[in-house]
Amino acid sequence: MKLRRALVVAQKEVSEIVRDRIYCALAFLLPVVLMLVFGYGLTQEVQNIPLVIVDNDRSAQSRDYANRFIESRYFEFKGYVSSVRAAEPLLLDGDVRAVIVLPALFQERLVSGLPVDIQTFVDGTFTYRLRTIDGYLQAINQAVSGELQSQYLARTTGVSNERAQQALQPLRVETRYLYNQELREIWSIAPALIMFVLTLTAPLLMALSVVREKETGTIYNIYASTITRAEYLAGKLLPNVIVSFINGILLVLIAVWYFGAPLKGDVLFFLVAMFVYVVWATSLGLLISVIVRTQMAATMVTVVLVMVFVMQFSGMMIPVSSMTGANNAIAHSIAAMYFNDVVTHTFLKSGGLEASWREFVALILLMTSFVSFGFLLFHKRSKS
Amino acid sequence: MTGVEQSIGERVALWLRQLGVMTLKEFPQLVRDRPVFAYIVFIFTLDIIIAAGQSVELNNAKVVINDADQSMASRELTYRFRAPYFDVAETNLHPDIALSWLDRGQATLLIDIPPNFSESLYRGDEVATVQMLVDTSNANIGFLAASYGSRIAAELGTQFTAQRTASVTALPRIDNQRRVRFNADINESWFSSISELLAVITVACIFLPAVAMVREKERGTVEQLLVSPLSPFQVMFAKVLAMMTVMLIGTAFSLFVIMQPLFDVPARGSLALFFALTALYAFATAGIGMLAATFARNTAQLGMLLMLIVFPIILLSGLWVQLESMPTWLRQVMNLTPLRYFIDIAYGILLRGVDIAIIWDSVLKMTAIGIVLFGVALWRFRRQFGG
Repeated sequence: MKLRRALVVAQKEVSEIVRDRIYCALAFLLPVVLMLVFGYGLTQEVQNIPLVIVDNDRSAQSRDYANRFIESRYFEFKGYVSSVRAAEPLLLDGDVRAVIVLPALFQERLVSGLPVDIQTFVDGTFTYRLRTIDGYLQAINQAVSGELQSQYLARTTGVSNERAQQALQPLRVETRYLYNQELREIWSIAPALIMFVLTLTAPLLMALSVVREKETGTIYNIYASTITRAEYLAGKLLPNVIVSFINGILLVLIAVWYFGAPLKGDVLFFLVAMFVYVVWATSLGLLISVIVRTQMAATMVTVVLVMVFVMQFSGMMIPVSSMTGANNAIAHSIAAMYFNDVVTHTFLKSGGLEASWREFVALILLMTSFVSFGFLLFHKRSKS
Repeated sequence: MTGVEQSIGERVALWLRQLGVMTLKEFPQLVRDRPVFAYIVFIFTLDIIIAAGQSVELNNAKVVINDADQSMASRELTYRFRAPYFDVAETNLHPDIALSWLDRGQATLLIDIPPNFSESLYRGDEVATVQMLVDTSNANIGFLAASYGSRIAAELGTQFTAQRTASVTALPRIDNQRRVRFNADINESWFSSISELLAVITVACIFLPAVAMVREKERGTVEQLLVSPLSPFQVMFAKVLAMMTVMLIGTAFSLFVIMQPLFDVPARGSLALFFALTALYAFATAGIGMLAATFARNTAQLGMLLMLIVFPIILLSGLWVQLESMPTWLRQVMNLTPLRYFIDIAYGILLRGVDIAIIWDSVLKMTAIGIVLFGVALWRFRRQFGG
């Protein structure tokens, strides 16, 4: 392999990228847009849940209770309705996602220290929202219930309100959130998205650039020339790695400046790890380009691989520690998991080489083996 | 036919036959591209199965406990952190070591039980305090773990109170009798499999006809088609018709062979209506791809342009983010995507069992958007080729 000849291929590749203005713009625009859209889409808090209330008691206490929901920013009160039946079409059309029914004698029973059953109907079509809505309902209900109980106990037994509260709940949990004290979802999503978007775009760019030559037939010039496959592949990999690495830096800047995620750890180590990861991801693209013949297929295969494997097993959604058996094994065999670990550590846990050396070694091993695989599988003579 | 005037009937028949032949031409093209064919098979089978297994629920979160009390009460608390939400890995871990578990991502929750825990709990004159440290580097998981953990502790506390104050009179209490409509058992796979089905239909309908279009442009075969006695409409619409057929077969397969037998996904409304509207949706969505295809010169450009369009549509049309909590301007943009209406339609028919009387407005809007998209694409296509 001669470096000079590899550089000639690289130069040809660069002019190909630069001359196709639209492609060139999209190569840098796509990761940025994906980062922004996913960052926004994955962190949206469930709020303004449309709600109607059926108040069969119409007492001061029932209005008080309803007001807790009306004033909450999580719910958007759409008005009182006369009966459950009147609320039904609203639920069916998806105009309302929750209905609360307060029974007659609501106030009377509570004042005399008796339990009251209220009814809520929740739209169960979107299950992930359901859990959140349920949580809000429960939290508000428990808060009101707890207040009523301590007031009642204080009134009937003559102790202070504070004392009554303590008697009712003798166990307290002091919760401390580590690494992300304010529970900002974007802080945990933004670093993971650097990994995710790179895993999607770096292989795509590489696969497209090889398959495009296959599809338009220019690859036969390469097949016919004296250039070796090592020279060709090195020349192809180099510009694409550089493009994706620049994209990686753009993503880090978006995460820090736009999304405000903290970058607590060793930046230099992180950049080195990101470079290794980009080389791995680019050679994944090379492997994909060996299998497929059309650019459409290259795009589809990349998207499917990334969406299915990376989202599921990299730890960006579900922590690897809670995976068992086969899932755990799959997670440990993909580079995305190791890089996700490095990203999370660097951003939130002030990590560096010392904390992440195992992951770093794994990344280097995977990178080396993927590059070699790509080299072995890519043949200068097409099969058919 | 030479020189003979064609009747309108004959011309319509010829037009339809041309369209039919053009549509049929797409199928072998699709099947012969092995990776694409494999992709279509994959999205309607395995992909749906994998997606249906996805859960946002807390599952098996690892807990480490530093139990300095070693009493019955502390063991009871430890015992309650169990499957499916939690999995206790260690119960007697030195705090520093336990902390390093959190640091290395091996545990999500660290619970520190102080030595006087059970004493204060039984005596009841001071509040027994437990410390809970949560790894919130994944904010969502961390939040769930923290709130479930607090709930477990609160329940234990209430039980102790109930035991101690059994003699005290009953307390007022508001019990929420919650009922979940349309999915009474909260079967997560219903939502996730339907949402995945909508997502894969969207991706395929935007990508496949658009790429088929640009490929003909790139290879110059579109010129051949345009000098033939075919109108640009026939050339474009044939691709969409082929796509609609493939999507209907795929959807039927997913629904009857995978979603219903494996996950008991109900179809409470009319299936005929569902399939008719799925075909309509495929048409409307293909319009997006067709329009994009008139802007791209080669497949590489198109592939990236489409990803730029597809991901926002799938994420922000209401499958992942609920429309109510988005800013107004963004909601208005999303009102222009067919998927936003098809979500109402598909969940409405399958889960809520509604008929056309309730969803007619969504159907109307979806159709209108499809016609506009397709019309603009056709206009641009005609102009580009001077047809």
